Order: sequence, then C-alpha cells, then structure tokens
Amino acid sequence: MKPWTALFLLLSVVSGVLSAQSTPDKFARYQSLSRSGPVDLDSASYEELTSEPRDYFAVVILTATDARFGCLLCRDFEPEWDLIARSWNKGTKPDDLKVVYGTLDFDNGKAVFQKLMLQTAPVLLVFPPTIGPFAKVEGDPLRFDFTGPISADQIYSWIERQLPDGPKPPLVRPINYMRIVTTITILMASVTVTAVLYPYVLPIVQNRNLWAAISLIAILLFTSGQMFNHIRKVPYVAGDGRGGISYFAGGFQNQFGMETQIVAAIYAVLSFATIALALKVPRMEDVKGQQLAVLIWAAVLFGTYSFLLSVFKAKNGGYPFYLPPF
Amino acid sequence: MAQSSLDVLLKGSSGRNTRGLLRVIILCTIAAAAVASRLFSVIRFESIIHEFDPWFNFRATKYLIENGFYSFWDWFDDRTWHPLGRVTGGTLYPGLMVTSGVIYHILRFLTIPVDIRNVCVLLAPGFSGLTALAMYFLTCEMSTSPSAGLLAAAFMGITPGYISRSVAGSYDNEAIAIFLLVFTFFLWIKAVKNGSIMWGALTALFYGYMVSAWGGYVFITNLIPLHVFVLICMGRYSTRVYISYTTWYALGTLGSMQIPFVGFLPIRNSDHMSALGIFGLLQLVAFAEFVRAYLPGKQFQKLLTAMVLLTVGIAFSGLILLSVTGVIAPWSGRFYSLWDTGYAKVHIPIIASVSEHQPTAWPAFFFDLNFLIWLFPAGVFMCFQKLKDEHVFVVIYSVLASYFAGVMVRLMLTLTPIVCVAAALALSAILDNFLVASSPTPESKAKAATEDPKSLRSTRNPVVGIYSYFSKSVVACSVTLYLLLFVAHCTWVTSNAYSSPSVVLASKLPDGSQFIIDDYREAYYWLRQNTPDNAKIMSWWDYGYQIGGMADRPTLVDNNTWNNTHIATVGKAMSSREEVSYPILRQHDVDYVLVVFGGLLGYSGDDLNKFLWMVRIAEGIWPDEVKERDFFTARGEYRVDEEATPAMKNSLMYKMSYHNYQNLFPPGQAMDRVRGTKLPKESPQLNTLEEAFTSENWIVRLYKVKDLDNLGRDHSNAVAFDKGLKRKRASKKKGPRVLRTE
Repeated sequence: MKPWTALFLLLSVVSGVLSAQSTPDKFARYQSLSRSGPVDLDSASYEELTSEPRDYFAVVILTATDARFGCLLCRDFEPEWDLIARSWNKGTKPDDLKVVYGTLDFDNGKAVFQKLMLQTAPVLLVFPPTIGPFAKVEGDPLRFDFTGPISADQIYSWIERQLPDGPKPPLVRPINYMRIVTTITILMASVTVTAVLYPYVLPIVQNRNLWAAISLIAILLFTSGQMFNHIRKVPYVAGDGRGGISYFAGGFQNQFGMETQIVAAIYAVLSFATIALALKVPRMEDVKGQQLAVLIWAAVLFGTYSFLLSVFKAKNGGYPFYLPPF
Repeated sequence: MAQSSLDVLLKGSSGRNTRGLLRVIILCTIAAAAVASRLFSVIRFESIIHEFDPWFNFRATKYLIENGFYSFWDWFDDRTWHPLGRVTGGTLYPGLMVTSGVIYHILRFLTIPVDIRNVCVLLAPGFSGLTALAMYFLTCEMSTSPSAGLLAAAFMGITPGYISRSVAGSYDNEAIAIFLLVFTFFLWIKAVKNGSIMWGALTALFYGYMVSAWGGYVFITNLIPLHVFVLICMGRYSTRVYISYTTWYALGTLGSMQIPFVGFLPIRNSDHMSALGIFGLLQLVAFAEFVRAYLPGKQFQKLLTAMVLLTVGIAFSGLILLSVTGVIAPWSGRFYSLWDTGYAKVHIPIIASVSEHQPTAWPAFFFDLNFLIWLFPAGVFMCFQKLKDEHVFVVIYSVLASYFAGVMVRLMLTLTPIVCVAAALALSAILDNFLVASSPTPESKAKAATEDPKSLRSTRNPVVGIYSYFSKSVVACSVTLYLLLFVAHCTWVTSNAYSSPSVVLASKLPDGSQFIIDDYREAYYWLRQNTPDNAKIMSWWDYGYQIGGMADRPTLVDNNTWNNTHIATVGKAMSSREEVSYPILRQHDVDYVLVVFGGLLGYSGDDLNKFLWMVRIAEGIWPDEVKERDFFTARGEYRVDEEATPAMKNSLMYKMSYHNYQNLFPPGQAMDRVRGTKLPKESPQLNTLEEAFTSENWIVRLYKVKDLDNLGRDHSNAVAFDKGLKRKRASKKKGPRVLRTE
C-alpha cells in the first residue's frame, strides 16, 4: 500500500511541476493551432487539452460529421460551430479569460467516445479551469445535449453563461456579400427582362385564366392542410406495419404529406365538377351531349363526395354520415 | 280561375312584393335557425358562461353595469396579476361589454326584468342571427342571382366554423366581431360600387365598432388597402375608389384611435402601415390622373410616371428608415408569426403554447365547413367570370384567409364568411340553371348574347339552358341531398363538439344516462366560501379568469398574458423543488395553490399535460435554473411513473398532483388514467404546502401554503419531526423492539 501511495504522490508532484510549466504553453500552443476556427482534435490531443491542471476553459464539441453516420444534426451544426469559435477568437476579450474551442470528430477520437460512453452526437462539453482566477473546485465538464436543430446564438448564450461574468465578444455573423450581389443581379436582370419582354409578358400577366388557376391552386393547397405539413414537417407516407403503405394517418390531428395531396385532388375534382355543371353544361347546344355531360358530372360529383366522406369517416371514428358507394 | 290568381301573385309589382315578403320570411327563419342551433348547451346544461375568456368578459360586464361607463373606462384591477395589478380599462376591447350593457339597459327601460348573465349568455346566438342577415346583404352585392344571398345566409347561420365561437354562453369578442366583420365588408363593397361618402363613412363607423370589439380588426385594416392596391395595379383606379378609401381611412383611423387599448397604434405600428401607405399612394395616383387629364404629350406622362415611382421609392425607404430607427414599432409578435411560422415557437412560447394557435390539419377544414369546402374554389372561379371590383375583393379575401386559416386553427373564423359567399355563388349558379321550369327553344338560343370576350375561356359561349327534365331532376335531387347532409353534419358537429361549456363536463354512465362532472365550480365555490376575501390564489394562467369570475379571489396570472415574466415566475414555482418554490410563493403572498389533475377520471386537459409549457416558459427567463431536458428521461421520454426524472419527481406540480393519490388504491396499484401508467408506491411528500380541498373527482386540488414554522425550523424538518413523533408513539404500543440503530 505504502509504496504505491508514495509513487502516486511523487508522480503527482512531478506532473504538477511539469504541468505548471507546460500549461501556459499548452494554451498558447492550442491557441496558435486554432488560428481562427476551432482546433481539430484527435484522441491524444483531446486528452492533453482536457487534462488537469489547466488554466483555461476548453469548449469541445464531440461530433460525427462523416456522411456514413448519417448525423444530420452534426453536419448542420458544423458551420454554426465554426462561427462561434471564429467570433470568439477574433473578438476582443479580457486578457485573463482563456478559452480554447475544439472539435473532436468520431473518426479521429473513437477512444474518447468509448470512454465517455456516448451513444449520440453531437455533445458539447465545457471544461472549466482547475487553476487560475476562474478555477472551479470540481473540474467536471459541463455538458450540453442537443435535442434538435439549434442556432449558434442559442449555443453561444449557453456557453457564455458557463463562463465567468464580464465582457465577451459578440457573435458575429459574417455578411454574405455573395448573396447580396446575387440578389441585386437577379433583381436587375429580372427588371431588364421585364422591360424588354413587356409587350409579350403583358398579355400573360393580364390573362384572367392564369390568375384564376393560381388562386385556385393556392386555395386548394391551403385548405388541404399544406401549411400543417410545412410547419409540423410531417412524413410523406408511412408504412402500415405489414409491409404496405398507409396513405392516411390515423387520428383527427395527424396527416401525411401524400394524404393532403390526395385530399387536394379530391377537392379539385369536386370543384371542377361543380364548375362544369354550373358553367359549361348550360352552354352546350347539343341536346344528347348535354344530357350525357350532366349525368357524367353528377355521377363524378356523387362518387367523389362519397369517397371523401368515407376518408373523413376513417379519420374521425365517430362520424355517423356517409354516402352509399364507399 | 286559380291560374290567373296565382299569376297576380307572381307577376308584376305584386309579384315583386310577394317575393320580397317571402324573402323576409326566409331570412327570419334562417336567423331563427341560427339562434336555435346554438342553444344546445343551454338546454343540456344550464345558462352558464363557458370556457375561460368569457369569464373575464362577464366579470368586466358586471363591473360596467355596477359602476357605470366612466369608472369602467378607468378601471384599475388590483385583483389580478397580484402584486402588479392590471390597467384593465385601458387594456381590453370594450365593444362586447358595452354592447351587452346597452342591451341590458334597454331591456330594463322596457321594464323587462332580465339578469345580466342571460344577456351575456344569449348575446352570441343573437348576433349570429344578425350575421346571417349581413351575409345576405354582402352576397347580394356579389351576384345578381336572387338565391345566392339566401343560400349564403343559410350557410353562415349553421356552419360549424362560425358556431364554434358563438354558441350560447361563449361570451367572447368574436361573438359580435364576426357580425361586424361581415357588415363592414358589405358597407365597403357598397362604398366602392357607389363611390359615395355616405357608405364610406358608414364603413368607417362600423370599422370603429369592430376595432372596439376584437383585435382581429387588423385583418380589415390590411384587407381593404390590399383590395385597393390590387385594383390600382389592375388599372382600375377610379374616383369611386378614391372617395370611398380616403373617407374610410381618415374617419376609420380617427375612430379606432378613440379606443384606449389601440391609441396611437394606427400611426405607430407596422401592422397598420399598409393602410397608411395605400392612402399616400392613392393621393399620388389621383394627382397623376388629374395632371394627365390636362397635359397631353407622351413626355409629360413619362415624367409623371417617373415622378410617381420616385415618390413611392422615397416614401418606402423613409418607412424603412423610420422602422429601423424605432419610430414605428415593428410587427407585433402574433401577427409576425403568421408569416414566419417558426417564429413563435422560438421566441414567444406563450403564443405557441395555446392550442388554437396550432396549424390546421385538413380534417379540421372539412369538420368546420363540410361540403362548402369544395364549393369554395368553384365559387372563387366564378368570380373570375365577370371580375368586377367586388369580385376582386372576394378573390383576395379567399386566398389570404385560406392561408391564415391553414396556419392557425383559430383563424378558421375569418375564413368562414368568404367560404359561405363563394359556396353560395357556386351553388346558386347550379340551381339557377337547373331549377328553371321552361326548356330552351331555338328562339331563346338565338337571343342569348355572347358574353364579355375578356372573360374566362370556359364561359365564352352563350348560355343556352338545360334541355331535359331528367338532367334537371338528377342534379336538383343530388344537390338537395348534399344540402340535407350539410344540415345533418352541422347539427351533429354543433351538438357533439362545440356545445360543451368546459366548466361543466359531461360523461355517459354505462347505462347511458348523463353524468355531470362539476368539479371546477365545486372548487371555485369552496374558495369563495372558505377563504378570506383577499386570499391570493396561484394557478397556471389558464384558470386565472375562472378564479376571478367564479371564486372572486385575486390571482397571480390569468389568460390576459401581458406579462411573460410573471407567468414564467409561476412556471418556475410549479416546476422547481419545494425549497426553491416556497420563497417564491412567500414573496408573492400566495395563500392557496390550485392544480388541475385528471389522473383519476382520465381528463386529459390537466396541468401535468400542460406542464412542459410551464417548464419551457420558465426556461425562457431562467435558463440556468429550469431546464426542459431535466424533465425527460435519458431516452427522451416524458414519464410520471417510477422512472420519472428526479427533477420531475421533486417538482411542486408533480407533488401536488399526486399527493395522497396512492392512498385511493390498494398498495402498489395506483394508476394514472390520463397517462396510462402505474405510479410509484410512495405518495410524494409535501412539506411546505398542505392539502386544503380536493374536489369530488379529484380534478381540482387546492393546497394551502404553510406559514413559517413557529419554532423557526424549516418545513422539511418540522414535517419529519411530526412524523417521527407519530412513529415513536406507534412503536411504543408495540413495545421496544430496537434500542439503537447505527
């Protein structure tokens, strides 16, 4: 027992002495490595960066950006993370507040992922300093779990809260000059095109049929729940658990993308049948043809409405009404 | 001869009178049907105010009746938002209360003894009769067909999309606002058609009334300018448009600024800027037209066009400058979230948390509008046939309102009127063709004139008519069938979905008889009778208005969610550990805490299901102290059973909900019937609160906040000590078993 303790003491003293010398270097080294963005780490450098004692904050994201892992969140967040590190490294900050931003990709740091027993990525860890003015008693890292898509601003405000009070560089989003130039170019191009093609475009713009079509399509899309799909990001179709496809979601408050398209098509057919009965049929001069058209359109109307009612009945179990065929 | 006497009735001037009389009778019948179909809840339950907001409106109306108009106008309410209070007179839309106050006083003047509660309960059905009437007028402006107006009135009277907000007892702003909306639009169409100052001024008058009644007036404020803008773009500028718009804008803006809650918003807020911008644009266009009439020559006109464009550009950049510098307030959050649909969820969770602000799935459209939903596009298409100024209005309104209704369930209400108009146009076009007794002959064919060549392609040929009686009867029968189905659907929906007061719940016993669950009122009356007059009640904001209205006790937060921080404070108290919550409760003078718990009965709208919103809203203000993540298990589940997270188990809300609940069941078999899970064996231990009252079905639970301990101990110690004493006594009876335990 005793020798071990002695050895341990000795080791710790030695490492303490060593680290007392090396810590400033460590920070300076990683600082210089990082240039402006976050430092790319591997297992070894991760261990070194986060080893105690340290007199700086280490903010490390553990991520898996390779397409093989299919981590959409990781890839989406990568540019945002760059932005945070860049803003911090370029911005003005108090001299004694030392922060290193690092990225550990799964490809380079499998060992770390195993050690931390991480099942999901990305994970953000903040290691507070163990020595220096901002040292914390417990050196355990603070952890941020990603639950969904998140913007740099939200993460940055979380990181800021873990750092000591005082001035911090603001998050600067670089101005996207390319986009501004593109927008202006497109705008000017469209103005030019409009000016040149004015005589040809005018009849199209003034075409009543075109506007009628646009309005009707818009109305059909909105009344068939397209905005719900857009906001809730519903799946297009889903399996029914028996290898087939289920086109209609169960329940009154759910729907699939394809379901809304079917419903929009049903509405369109019904509307078109109505328009045909109201506007087209009375303008037919042929007696027999008119009779036939009336019967066909009335049958289409009836059949489709019956189908619509049956679909609605399937969605809303207690609904008591139906029309015969379906 | 009978034939000729019938002819006398149906032809000539007396024929017109007969038709007029019939029309009046039909309209009265429609109005009666509209009122009658909204009375389910009164018949099933009683004459009672429904839901949440109506309770505040009812309380405000009572205040108005008791204290008169001027003190109502200056009302500072110190019994809500304790300890802040609320400048109620300046932060509400007074139109509803004043309307029912006027009706009450008129009835009193006519010596009809009526209770103000009944006036309030029956106000919405009464106004829905008027809405049907206004709908008739509006639709008659759109179509020459005599049947369109009547059909629209009938649709509007019974369509569930409107009934959902206007059943008896649903004493809310929308009750009168939809009537005002429809009638204002009718007056506006009339003004544009006639170019008359009188109609324009009437539009402004009703617009002012609308502003005083509902925040949705912004819809009118933006729709009318949009209509004018589109007319200008189509090259349809006319003096009629100029006169009606300027009259409406000047008078309407002045009128709307008389409401304290609106005040200077019409000139300071982005929501209203389009109206101002179109007003300026109209002046420019009018000036240009004026000059054009006097200056021939192409150069002048080009110069003029350039000047107009330049002025518009300068005005627009000036507007941007003013909004950037903050002179003009930016878009209000509620309005902005309509365009950027992800905005509310990130920035204003309190808006996103309300169920009626969710997007609309397609079944909801069909549920609320039935077959009108597919007649609607057909009707809009028919508007393109003639495309007069008023038809342009229908098209714009339809597209815009369908978008809004798709984004927010609640805005189905603004879509419903235009759906009724368009559907009536479509159906009347069918009926007018297929219900004509005489068949076309070659002479009439020759007589049929060709129509406007600019019209739609499908309507270029002349109308001939329907030849065979068979086709007429087929279509007439099927349309009749659809109409009957519509009536049945509306009645079914109204009776099943929209007629529950939600204060009183009803369920069916196994033998089919009705079982009334009246826990809310039981608890509120307990508060009223057993607590001091100024005992402060803390609850989640949903129940604030009801506590104020039924229990008449001060509350911390209520449904007027004007102060997000205060609501977050309550959320924090509910979602934190007792040691954190107790100081918050003490600081806010809370005497009682009210929670709604549906576990025993399977009532899903309870507080534990809303709990995550409390956490989220609290997290928005104190991100370090309350974390949504802590309430989910490692696998991301929201659980209340044995595996619930420590944060969940220690939260005040969890403890209050399940306090002593386990004692109802045999040991280890406690079930939560809402979340369908087994609960932990041990009932959670409450230290700082004590149970004061639990209603019959455990839906409402009231807890009294303990005073500081007399001996200066903290509460957990005191409770442990009390328990320890009891345990000792119990062990004494059994005799000394263990002397010392290490």
